[in-house]
Amino acid sequence: MAEMSHIERVMAGLTNQKGDRLSTYPIACGVNRKLVNGGVSYQDWAHNAKLFAQAFIEGQKAFDFDFAIGLMDLSVMAGDLGAGVRFDKENTPFVDKYLINNTEDYEKFVVPDITKGRSAVILEGTKLFCDVLKTEVITAGFLEGPLLALSQSAGAERLFMDMFTNPSAVHKALATMTEYDVEMVKGFAKTGCAGLCWDYLWGNYSCLGDAEYDEFEGCKKYAGDLNALTAKEGMAVAIHNCADLPHLDTQITKFAPAIYSMAYYPLIPGSPSAAETIEKGYCDNCLVGGQIDPQLFIRGTVEKITQVTKDLCQEVKTALCKRGLGSRYIIASGCEVPPDVHTKLENIKAVVDTTKAYGKVDW
Amino acid sequence: MSKEAILNKLSDAVVNGKPELAKEGAKEALDAKLNALDAINNGLVKGMSIVGDKYAARQVYLPQVLMSAHTMYAGLDLLLPAIPKSEMASMKKCITAVVEGDVHDIGKNIVKTMLTAGGFDVNDLGKDVPTQTIVDTAKNNKIDVLALSTLMTPTMDGMKAAVDGLVENGYRKSVKVCIGGAPTSPAFAKEIGADHRDANAQDCVAWLKEVF
Repeated sequence: MAEMSHIERVMAGLTNQKGDRLSTYPIACGVNRKLVNGGVSYQDWAHNAKLFAQAFIEGQKAFDFDFAIGLMDLSVMAGDLGAGVRFDKENTPFVDKYLINNTEDYEKFVVPDITKGRSAVILEGTKLFCDVLKTEVITAGFLEGPLLALSQSAGAERLFMDMFTNPSAVHKALATMTEYDVEMVKGFAKTGCAGLCWDYLWGNYSCLGDAEYDEFEGCKKYAGDLNALTAKEGMAVAIHNCADLPHLDTQITKFAPAIYSMAYYPLIPGSPSAAETIEKGYCDNCLVGGQIDPQLFIRGTVEKITQVTKDLCQEVKTALCKRGLGSRYIIASGCEVPPDVHTKLENIKAVVDTTKAYGKVDW
Repeated sequence: MSKEAILNKLSDAVVNGKPELAKEGAKEALDAKLNALDAINNGLVKGMSIVGDKYAARQVYLPQVLMSAHTMYAGLDLLLPAIPKSEMASMKKCITAVVEGDVHDIGKNIVKTMLTAGGFDVNDLGKDVPTQTIVDTAKNNKIDVLALSTLMTPTMDGMKAAVDGLVENGYRKSVKVCIGGAPTSPAFAKEIGADHRDANAQDCVAWLKEVF
């Protein structure tokens, strides 16, 4: 089969056709800042739209991905809502001062002005990299779902207990987070990105059961509404969830995203492998990506990560053929490639190159 | 109220996540001059064990587990001071901590709860804890178990720094070190010289009970 362009290859996967090979995207986002101006700090990268965009552009030049997905970090919304965000020089930023001290605080959230703060940076940065890359690869913005944004603002432990004791207060705050997300979806729609990747982190059976997840993430309200809005605004719905025990029936079957990114934890009973995910039908209507251990990008050798990628390609190709599917799988990392100074860029390249060599299917 | 009724009240309070009932039951236990350790083990801890089993079986989830833990601690606050020091002395001493640079502490708090329910004397150092604090606390308090957690990749090296610090201060051979958190693995535990990587809180307690 003739070599396809990046976009043709992904479109083949999205439409369950036979592509020239499996598509690939080690989720390299923050780590790409090492390629900008000889390396910029996380703090600079996460506050400057041009640096943010340049990292994805340089990453594409260096690694030749099939996608570009604009993940910054998971404290963008909480920070703009007023939570304290700590920026260590080379660490992913994280919330270190929450906004909820009592039940009444849930009602005090106000949707921030998305033309300011890091909301504006991620929107402008996404537009900048989409302008350059959208004719080359499938581009997507990245946005925290309402429950994730609230847990980042309130503190997860506090939020989980308040779900149990003060659910109505939690719902009021989730309604505000959803309004914030609505504004952001409309903002991303203006960036030219082909898709919008949602982080619905708490769809995890280690944390919430079906009833709690449905109540607080919502198939109809909250996430359900936002998925519908995303599609209405002309973007494909993608979901990232690096949970050990993801809610696949809800997040793939009910939410019906075009693309789903997931992780695999071999030591945790019940964590679904790539083959199991395909065999159980979750790729029948969705292009699923995963599941290389992100730690290998720091601690693995090129030889090791090459072998892991070869094995994953073989596992996926066998399962897809058995299921009678086309190129319905993306060879990807299970979560973001660690944006750590010690991450080995050559390991990112090894995943892409190995997929090019061993992701071909003899249809 | 009979002893059995008080113990059941304590256990039920934890199972149902009712901290006020746990405080009430603890006061009744003390008023009835029940042995405080008995009230803890056969009331609060019994309840927490039920919740732990239900969590493992995915019959309850994190919101319920956290409320049950909160309830257990509400009862423990009243009952622990009533335990004679001689009885406390026989308990293995643990410290729990999220390493420096990381503030994700739900997993660590579940481990703390299960260790307490498992009969360990737990001193929780909290989150974003400097390595020197961990190392000094372990040695100065003659700790038996050090349980370290992190959820983030860049802070994993803090675990190695803690183990190295224990080697440097000469206390490493006196303490069992276990680590946990999504990015950790048994191979990483071995690489940094920790004794065990816990898959979850129950795994941590089960391993320590084997060791001791």
